[in-house]
Amino acid sequence: MTVFAVDTDLLLQVIWVSLVAGVGISALFSFVILGSARASEARRAGRGGAVAGYATLAFVAFALFAAGVVLGVQTMVTK
Amino acid sequence: MGHDFVLWIVVATALAFDFTNGFHDTANAVATSISTRALSPRLAVALAAILNFAGAFVSLEVAATIATGIVDADLVTPSIVFAGLVGAIAWNLATWYVGLPSSSSHALIGGVVGAAFVAEGSRAVFGSGVLDKVVVPALVAPVLAFVAGGLAILVAYRIVGRQRPGLVARGFRLGQVLSASLLALSHGTNDAQKTMGIIFLALVANGNLAPGADVPTWVVVSAATAIALGTYVGGWRIIRTMGSRIIKMDPAQGFAAQGVGATVIMAASHVGFPLSTTHVISGAIMGTGAAKRVSAVRWGVAGNIVTAWVLTLPAAATVGGVTYAVVELLGTDDLGPIAVSAALLAALAVVMVRRLLAGRTLTAEG
Repeated sequence: MTVFAVDTDLLLQVIWVSLVAGVGISALFSFVILGSARASEARRAGRGGAVAGYATLAFVAFALFAAGVVLGVQTMVTK
Repeated sequence: MGHDFVLWIVVATALAFDFTNGFHDTANAVATSISTRALSPRLAVALAAILNFAGAFVSLEVAATIATGIVDADLVTPSIVFAGLVGAIAWNLATWYVGLPSSSSHALIGGVVGAAFVAEGSRAVFGSGVLDKVVVPALVAPVLAFVAGGLAILVAYRIVGRQRPGLVARGFRLGQVLSASLLALSHGTNDAQKTMGIIFLALVANGNLAPGADVPTWVVVSAATAIALGTYVGGWRIIRTMGSRIIKMDPAQGFAAQGVGATVIMAASHVGFPLSTTHVISGAIMGTGAAKRVSAVRWGVAGNIVTAWVLTLPAAATVGGVTYAVVELLGTDDLGPIAVSAALLAALAVVMVRRLLAGRTLTAEG
């Protein structure tokens, strides 16, 4: 739909993609910090299971964060 | 083929604009990293300069679109491009002097629109293009980034809120190196190409290139170099405003603002809706501040920034239009652009000499 030469569908797409991506990237990096911090605490406390769990959380969050960065760079390269 | 001497004046002016674009917008990528001490000031601007240079080569889909759809490209002459660039440079220098972040792209569009309007009347300017490419993005970008920045920092605080502050700060500082790099790279891909587009437009208007030709390598290299040099010089006045005068930010806020800024710009680029980096980052900084505490944002400073955004298009258009009128009065073929650029260079030399003398007097008195 176009209103006053503005493509409103495109505009709405920009809004939701930006909100999801912007909040998502901050949340993912926060989980990297949370997982690393908790894994470090668990290691000091000698809780092996918790170490593995939190390290996995940090790793997965970082992998998703890195994938987001790569996608962003790819977007810039191919736009 | 047109007058080559005028063409070279236009090319030099475009590169001068690119330089001001670089130092004006350095703050977008590095202000929050410097403010939270994620990077030292020199390292931050050096990193931004290198990535701006690299960004200029990343995507060579020419941004000749800077004027396409906004002014009638068939009516554009090198003199109009020259006058438009003077308008954009004047606005960039004025806002840098008072330390206000504003969109260099909107200044460029404003300058070209003003010059084209004075040269050819209203038939040269497409109102719908101005609305679609300038007005709507200018309204959407800061509000969207404000909301996204606010939500992002609330989510981040919620996730890491109970962890040791030192560890959290170190983590987000590391993240800021990456987010600042992404922003600098995206700035290079966007803004250096605008100058390439303007030089390309002038070469076509002068008859040196066919409209469908590839961008010459010397244009790419010179535009990349000019924006990188400008970035390295660094617009410290604007860096101070964005880094510490809008809000006093912690590393989590710095990361959230940059992360949201980078993702909003990339998401918008992905769907083909170009937003101003300056508007996005400023909005995200205000959003991360307001989400923590509304009074954390210095609304007076924020108000000045918004006022500068509103004035960008008309102010640059006015200077561009007046410059074209003077050029036309003296002769658009050769004399006009030569006389105007000589007068501007002389004015710049006077300002620099006066500043040098003032500095020497202060030193002698001290």
